[in-house]
Amino acid sequence: MDGAARKSWPLTAAVFLVVLLTVTLLRSNLTATAEPSYPTGLPGLLQLEIENERLAAENERLWQELNQLQNSQNGSALASEQMDTARLNAGQVELTGSGIRVILDDALERENSGYGNYVIHEEYLRQLVNVLWSGGAEAIAINDQRVTGQTEIFCSGAFIQINGTRQSPPYKIVALGNQSDLRAALQFYFWDNLGHYQQQYGITRELEIPVQPLTVPAAKTHAIRFAAQAREGER
Amino acid sequence: MNRRLAGVATIAMLILGVLLSLQLETQKSVDLAEQIQTERLNQISGVLESLQAENARLLEENTHVASELDRLREAGDTNPLLAAQLEQLKIQDGTVPVRGLGVKMLVTDSGPDLMVLFPVNTDDLCNIINTLRFAGAEAISINGQRIVASSSVVLSGNATILINSVPIGRVGATTYEILAIGDPDVMYDYLNRLEVLTLKQAGMRVDLTKEEVALPSYKGSYYFDYASRTSA
Repeated sequence: MDGAARKSWPLTAAVFLVVLLTVTLLRSNLTATAEPSYPTGLPGLLQLEIENERLAAENERLWQELNQLQNSQNGSALASEQMDTARLNAGQVELTGSGIRVILDDALERENSGYGNYVIHEEYLRQLVNVLWSGGAEAIAINDQRVTGQTEIFCSGAFIQINGTRQSPPYKIVALGNQSDLRAALQFYFWDNLGHYQQQYGITRELEIPVQPLTVPAAKTHAIRFAAQAREGER
Repeated sequence: MNRRLAGVATIAMLILGVLLSLQLETQKSVDLAEQIQTERLNQISGVLESLQAENARLLEENTHVASELDRLREAGDTNPLLAAQLEQLKIQDGTVPVRGLGVKMLVTDSGPDLMVLFPVNTDDLCNIINTLRFAGAEAISINGQRIVASSSVVLSGNATILINSVPIGRVGATTYEILAIGDPDVMYDYLNRLEVLTLKQAGMRVDLTKEEVALPSYKGSYYFDYASRTSA
């Protein structure tokens, strides 16, 4: 009895050691293969970097303006130049230039099942406008309604409300800018979806890239009643 | 009997030796990985600090020059009516920071107590912008990006949302902050009816309040290289 116990204890110790080592090995292996935790602030970092770049540009512009103002005998020439720029930026000037035209229209015949994929929905217009802006459009109008920072594209029954006006199909979207850039911006799944709807349901999806310049009308003025100019960084 | 024990012991020792050396090797590589990780983190926080310092400096410079410009303009003989119109236009094109009555909407799509299958996407943000415009918003911003006419909201990769071509991180990694200036009652009402329910049904937390808000200016630039004033 005693002899057997004495014989088996080195074995027990060895087994114990092996198990211990295996466990620690497995654990350190697990931590080594685990996904390294990347710092979460990366988008914030990029954002800050871009913001800094833009702030620097903005400051540069302000310095220039200050310089001009200091040099000019009277500020009025500068003021009118600023006014022109602001009107241009706010979309209150009619513009002409190269661009593309997209025409969307409801299907001529639709099955009894209802509207569904047979008509042009507000989302289509919004998606298009969004990708055209991201493709570098300089000005956009839908059915001669200029798209500005205050423009809504909202479904109201059989019409789509744009700038408070009721628009009905066909919708003609004109975007001014680099033609190949704008065309490239359209190459995404949504445009292909519209192509499928065209084939299956008979809606119209047309892209025109005319040689002659296109025109985008000026926007109406908006009264600003609630917002007042503030200082950068004010909270 | 003794021979068998010796055989077992030899095999056990062999295994032990292999395990020991393996263990040492992995521990070494783990240590190295950890070291690299800490170094990387240190580096990034260093970059972040210097960027923040740079940002503060630029903001200070901006305030300084802007106030000097204002002083000079006021000293000049600029027509006050024209100045007022210029301000209105600049509020519309987003090139100046603004402050005023409006609404603040916080949308939280992740967190310990939330179960959200599909987080906020570009369509959600576009819908909110459109509804705010419908409600007559005069100025809108999302996570510090001023929304102007030409602002696009697009997805980069599979999780990063770009507004004005700038990646917008969630505030505190969980929340989108949407600010808008305009009639607070109308905007509150429209958002509540058209947007809040959908987001809440998706499991998100939405906080909508009427309050005075301050929005930053649009930091991008307007360019007209292909379009020009229509000549009469």
